[in-house]
Amino acid sequence: MKMESEETLSQRAQKMAPTIAPTEVFVQIGALTRLLHDTMAQLGVMPKLREAADGLPDARSRLNYIAHKTAAAADKVLNSVDAAKAEHAKIMARTHAIGKSITADPVKAVASGAVFNFVGDVEGATSRIDKHLTDIMMAQDFHDLTGQVVAKVVHLAGELEDSLVKLLVQIVPADQIHKVEESLLHGPVVDPTGRTDVVTSQEQVDDLLASLGF
Amino acid sequence: MATPSEMKFLIVDDFSTMRRIVRGLLKEIGYANADEAEDGAVALNMLRGGRFDFVVTDINMPKMSGFDLLSEIKRDPTLKHLPVLMVTAEARKEDIVRAAQEGASGYIVKPFNKATLEEKVQKIMQKLLATA
Repeated sequence: MKMESEETLSQRAQKMAPTIAPTEVFVQIGALTRLLHDTMAQLGVMPKLREAADGLPDARSRLNYIAHKTAAAADKVLNSVDAAKAEHAKIMARTHAIGKSITADPVKAVASGAVFNFVGDVEGATSRIDKHLTDIMMAQDFHDLTGQVVAKVVHLAGELEDSLVKLLVQIVPADQIHKVEESLLHGPVVDPTGRTDVVTSQEQVDDLLASLGF
Repeated sequence: MATPSEMKFLIVDDFSTMRRIVRGLLKEIGYANADEAEDGAVALNMLRGGRFDFVVTDINMPKMSGFDLLSEIKRDPTLKHLPVLMVTAEARKEDIVRAAQEGASGYIVKPFNKATLEEKVQKIMQKLLATA
């Protein structure tokens, strides 16, 4: 069954390309491979590509580490903010209530212990808010750790990008090069300097939309 | 039209932190009723399965982008009335023009602050009230 299938494929290939001799195809592929290899060697990209490829699994784990650290920090900050805002809302409500009590009957407010209770509540709440603020401050320690990792990954990415762009420019036909350059522009704009196709502020977004009738 | 406290928002972003921040800011400006979706496909299912009054969406997301979501919303007769506010890091003029042409109600570039979100949401609300 397998032999029949292979025979059929071979026969089909011969029918489809009856004028091309197999040896000629091999020679052409060999020449192209040699040309590609020599070009890459001359450009000096092969050692760099190998180095970059070797570093990729490590880059992936480094990026995972950054994602984990930043996500944990964001969660910690948002949880602390939520808790601090809840304490703040309680103080606001208690302040409003004690204000009304003092306005209505100052003597009763003090004598009933409401004022002293309020002072105690504020002291407790501010102490807890201070702890939340400290937690927010401590959550920023990820920056020191991830900053070093980011620097290494950026270096690796730069090497890889440099090698691949050189390779791409050599391979892509001249009339298609502008497409390579366009594709490199996609994604968030990190450096808008000298670019006229991007906006740099919300005001510019609003102006552009206004010019379109929005 | 629903009052601010009754209005239900759908926040669409693949980053949970961003969803949480937008949700928190909306709550602070008086819109506490909100649900979240991690991409356009999930959002579209939620929109078709429930009642929502306002969509706040990112653009770059897996499975279905914010542009595709916007396009689906505007193509669906039961959803096309929904205001869609794009909140994104995409700052290219062609993206802003495309969003406007495809029917977005507003466009905010990240990073943004509470005042910007409040201004855009209120502006869209005023337009909704004017046309209601």
